[in-house]
Amino acid sequence: MEVITLPHLEQHPLSVCLFRNVQNAAFLRQQLLQANHDFEYAFLDASVLLSRTHVLAACFRAITDVLHARLKSHNVHSEIVFALSPNNNIADSFRRFGISDQSTNILAIKVGGDASQIEAHLMQHVQGTPVLFTDATLQTMRDPARIRKIYRVDVASKEAEAFILGTMALKGS
Amino acid sequence: MPIALGLEGSANKLGVGIIFHPPSTPPSPHDSAHSDDEVPKSQSKPSASSQVQILCNLRHTFVSPPGTGFLPKDTAAHHRRWVVRLVKQAIKQSKIQIEDIDCICFTQGPGMGAPLSAVAIAARMLSQLWDKPLVGVNHCVGHIEMGRTITGADNPVVLYVSGGNTQVIAYSAQRYRIFGEALDIAVGNCLDRFARVINISNDPAPGYNIEQLAKKGGDVLLDLPYAVKGMDVSFSGILARAEEMARRLHAGRKGEQDLWKEGDKVIGEEDLCFTLQETLYAMLVEITERAMAHVGARQVLIVGGVGCNERLQQMMGMMAADRGGSVFATDERFCIDNGIMIAHAGLLQHSMGFRTKLEESSCTQRFRTDEVLINWRD
Amino acid sequence: MSPDSGTPYLPAPFTTSPTPLTLITRGAEAALYKTTFLTPHQPCALKIRPPKPWRHPTLDARLTRQRILAEARALVKCGREGVRVPQVLGMSWEEGWVALEWIAGRTVKDVIWGWRAEGAEKGDAWLRGLLGKVGRAVGLLHSIGVVHGDLTSSNMIVEEQGSTAGEGEIVLIDFGLATQAVQEEDRAVDLYVLERAFGSTHPREEALFGVVLEAYAGSYKGAKATLKRLEDVRMRGRKKSMIG
Repeated sequence: MEVITLPHLEQHPLSVCLFRNVQNAAFLRQQLLQANHDFEYAFLDASVLLSRTHVLAACFRAITDVLHARLKSHNVHSEIVFALSPNNNIADSFRRFGISDQSTNILAIKVGGDASQIEAHLMQHVQGTPVLFTDATLQTMRDPARIRKIYRVDVASKEAEAFILGTMALKGS
Repeated sequence: MPIALGLEGSANKLGVGIIFHPPSTPPSPHDSAHSDDEVPKSQSKPSASSQVQILCNLRHTFVSPPGTGFLPKDTAAHHRRWVVRLVKQAIKQSKIQIEDIDCICFTQGPGMGAPLSAVAIAARMLSQLWDKPLVGVNHCVGHIEMGRTITGADNPVVLYVSGGNTQVIAYSAQRYRIFGEALDIAVGNCLDRFARVINISNDPAPGYNIEQLAKKGGDVLLDLPYAVKGMDVSFSGILARAEEMARRLHAGRKGEQDLWKEGDKVIGEEDLCFTLQETLYAMLVEITERAMAHVGARQVLIVGGVGCNERLQQMMGMMAADRGGSVFATDERFCIDNGIMIAHAGLLQHSMGFRTKLEESSCTQRFRTDEVLINWRD
Repeated sequence: MSPDSGTPYLPAPFTTSPTPLTLITRGAEAALYKTTFLTPHQPCALKIRPPKPWRHPTLDARLTRQRILAEARALVKCGREGVRVPQVLGMSWEEGWVALEWIAGRTVKDVIWGWRAEGAEKGDAWLRGLLGKVGRAVGLLHSIGVVHGDLTSSNMIVEEQGSTAGEGEIVLIDFGLATQAVQEEDRAVDLYVLERAFGSTHPREEALFGVVLEAYAGSYKGAKATLKRLEDVRMRGRKKSMIG
């Protein structure tokens, strides 16, 4: 697990852990659906994540929207999932970026909290292999066809990240 | 003794002024309504900014009835009718002799053709009669030099706003360069024409009456276009929309359509005037701020008839203060067209050896500010 | 912000952040800070549009929102179409900020002033090369249907490439007045604004502005028609009645 501090949001550290070969996505998803308070995470399906920057941009947007009291969903973690989406449809954003029962590569993010406790909790409940959260790892996990379908951009192009970040930033305008 | 007589008649004001530039006096504290700590105390060429003496500044305005503008022919006739009387009165009031005058300065342009020509003829006549050299002056340069002298603004960005002109100007390499301007009609023209549509008086000036009405508004800001392109602005779209609004207002009053309301508020002329002023002046302040940022200036000088507007001055003042600078504006004696500014700029030109030959003294409706060599400044 | 004009306006979350913000310039519209964004290694140009208290609050909010969005939309479109502009990293139109990719380099204005200050020793040909790049950059922008709205030599950066300053590609910046327009007239006015700004900022180099237009002429299919239209716009500008 890695603790990431976003510049300008130092009071809101992110605990981030990327898992490969997760076996219990259905269980994790169930906890979210039941609103189990022990599972206040953003669980993202890594197959639709382009890069670290892609993820961090969503986190920045979600946290600042919390700070300005303009959440569209119910908490900062669901807001991260929503922030990734190119449109304003919340259910749609969960379907695309949240985990499904079939998800195997999962990125878990928690805003704030005690890092060591979070790490212990994740290791205990996520049945998968923690791997480094890097662009290189994400590249092995991503599904270019799905990403293209969501953002309408060729993942291989060098403009892809700029376009995706821009689209996310413009959302809701 | 450097004394000049200045004649102005580019629009509906006929102005006659007589100025005296005391020879090589050391720079003295100028009499300014505004203080500015940033003005360097040592001025390079004292003739331009040191104290000048206004011996007289007379003006007579041609006022047309409400709902009408001033037409060139009628305006020229007005100037012809008044110019001799005004010159005589000016000489008398100044307590000078004809022989004390060094040159006859006149507005050579820009402006309305017929009134310009009427006054130019008067200037040529005086020049021949008294055997004094003629000095043709650019109207805009007149405003700028007078504004600088009266306010003590050393090197400001100049916003020149009147019925005929909307320009943002900054000095560089002996020219007043136009950084931005109205791409279609002038801001004052926009105000004047709107005043005609809502049928308010042209006395003392349509812009003044719009300003008074606008003070009664302020509850609502209606939606007008906002057209800034770089440092340029465009007003014709705003005028068209404002005219539409005026029609809607009148149709509502006459019962031809529903009374115009925003919420519970019944919209009236005051709201239209308020909206128009807020929009136009925000645009002007914006292009001025752009020019200041562009050239790195902190002072703003507002000249021209629209420059008398208190709301414009207030907005500009807040902007300039925010940039660590200040705004300079003159009162109606100087911001409204006048003869003294022509005398002043003309005398500066004269001091640099400039003369306008009789055969080159014809007027031009289009005389750009940046055509004049400003060789009395560094 | 100028040093003597009080506390600069910063919206949350930048108010309380220990991440350094270095003021680079304070333009008319916005203050530009250099900082980092998303990661400590990502340099960023943070553009903050402070409220303008002299404007009516309704108008002020409307303009701030419009311009931040216009800028971001134009930049995203450019990015997608392969026109080199700063990438949008994040923004908030409510608080009036946009975080952009940091472009290292000098403005075309500074490069030309530098060229003049060095006694033009690099020669006219060098300056012509730079102006040609400017023309092509504007042409490329217009070819994708974006009009900048505020082209000046300060709104273009010569991107640093290695150690040779002034030799890199042109990156257009400051899209706050940008529109996505396909009208010839809009493109022509865009060029006219640049032409006038160039003339007033670089009076001694004004004669070389033709080089910009020549390069522009060859940069996309509709360029010649736009240049023809520019002549009309110029005529209107110069011949327009000064009496209103």
